[in-house]
Amino acid sequence: MQLVLVDSPEEIRRGFHPLSLSRPIWELRCGITSLKEKLIARTRPAGVACFVAPYMADAYRARAGCPVNDASALSGDDLLIIDPRVKADAFDVPTTGPSEVGLDGEGRVLYARIARYDLGRLPPAGGGIDALLSAAKVKFPCVAARLPAWRYAWDLMLASPDQVAADFAAAGRFGIEGAVEQPCAVRGSRNDVYVAPGAVVHPMVVIDAGQGPVYVDEGAEILPFTRIEGPCYIGPKSVLLGAKCRAGNSFGPHCRVGGEVEASVIQGYTNKYHDGFLGHAYVGEWVNLGALTTNSDLKNDYSAVSVNMDGRRSIDTGSAKVGCLVGDHVKTSIGTLFNTGAYVGAMAVIMATGKPLPKFIPSFAWLIEGVVTKGFGKGKLYETARTVMARRGREWTAAEQAMWDAVYAFTAGPRDEAVRRGRRIMAKP
Amino acid sequence: MASVLERVVAVTARVLRLDPAEIRPEHSFAADLGAESVQSIELVAMFEEEFGIDMDEQEALSVETVGAAAEYIAGVCRKQGIPTEP
Repeated sequence: MQLVLVDSPEEIRRGFHPLSLSRPIWELRCGITSLKEKLIARTRPAGVACFVAPYMADAYRARAGCPVNDASALSGDDLLIIDPRVKADAFDVPTTGPSEVGLDGEGRVLYARIARYDLGRLPPAGGGIDALLSAAKVKFPCVAARLPAWRYAWDLMLASPDQVAADFAAAGRFGIEGAVEQPCAVRGSRNDVYVAPGAVVHPMVVIDAGQGPVYVDEGAEILPFTRIEGPCYIGPKSVLLGAKCRAGNSFGPHCRVGGEVEASVIQGYTNKYHDGFLGHAYVGEWVNLGALTTNSDLKNDYSAVSVNMDGRRSIDTGSAKVGCLVGDHVKTSIGTLFNTGAYVGAMAVIMATGKPLPKFIPSFAWLIEGVVTKGFGKGKLYETARTVMARRGREWTAAEQAMWDAVYAFTAGPRDEAVRRGRRIMAKP
Repeated sequence: MASVLERVVAVTARVLRLDPAEIRPEHSFAADLGAESVQSIELVAMFEEEFGIDMDEQEALSVETVGAAAEYIAGVCRKQGIPTEP
């Protein structure tokens, strides 16, 4: 069976902005692994192919590790086509069997199981995934799929702590395979701690697995005076620098993390080197959070946090604990203060004043003196991105730039509006 | 209505907190008037607000002197159909 991941339509993908501006939804993390890894583990396919928004296809192809937007992947085997919003743990549909299409309450395809012998009843694969799914809805039985689905980026962040524990159990690994230098204190059961080969835990580190497991992945390094409370996942080659790592974190690869961090997801390749509190946040890749950057994750009246994702409409998260959503390549100055439920668009540059910032900061915005400006423009941001990626051995490619050009174009509306508003504010005597 | 140059001088004086009488067309924003990089961004924003135009930020930030800014802005106004004369 071939697993085919088809990214959700744009109106759904918006719920995962700013993280999904530069990646398909299934690359987002929840717990130890990404949604893609969870769907693969759940369905155990012989192969995987995926279909993403055209503007990101070339950039994503370079890192996907599977065919991207390649129609030839839609022939030759049974197909299990899944929308990545579907929660893998709850996906209880038999992966092979007669052809069937599962629809959500609004008639959108959540999954389509297409038997190889039925492929001939569908339009040729070259017609694309949308044509194939439309035809499948007509030709095969459609059922109302009562499958739980992710809706917003904060859903992943809020579910991540429990998911770390579940993923730890599923991985079945525990014990010390890397180096743990003494004295090092482990609280709780050592069966709830895994230090992978190549990982190094320096002396004077506390690993508290009393409330949940701690997984330190390959090549990670935990420097002295770090305290890690489980559940927690430290990704490959990430470094914790005396961090106060409270329960519920998941850090992807190549992160540098210091200060106080709680119940947060960091996608990877991000620096939060210094003191400052990050709580109930989801932070993208290639982000640098300056010293003392801090977010609020709880309102003074303990009511549910709302998030404004487009500069117009606020969405009630239903949770009293939501920190910030920070897109890829964001850079914050020292002393940046993010409000509860802040949305920080990708590529934004924050030059803080010490006051809490607006709750919605558009992508590619340069926030100066508390107002959105055009700053030095996207060319300068690209130069910085190229430098930052090269430091970690990654290349800023033409495909990458073309993807970000597209993001720049379709995020222009709220940014231009904020720039105009900013000019009016600055012009006031 | 003041000329483009007079309006550029007035905005520059306000943003950089200078006496307009001290600002000459040949003055460089950075070297002579002491504009920091953040103030350059503010100047671009304030010129846009003053003239009701939309400037390419990279082009605008490459303009070095007050006189060159007035010329550049007059050109943008012409392109965008914004009147600058009484």
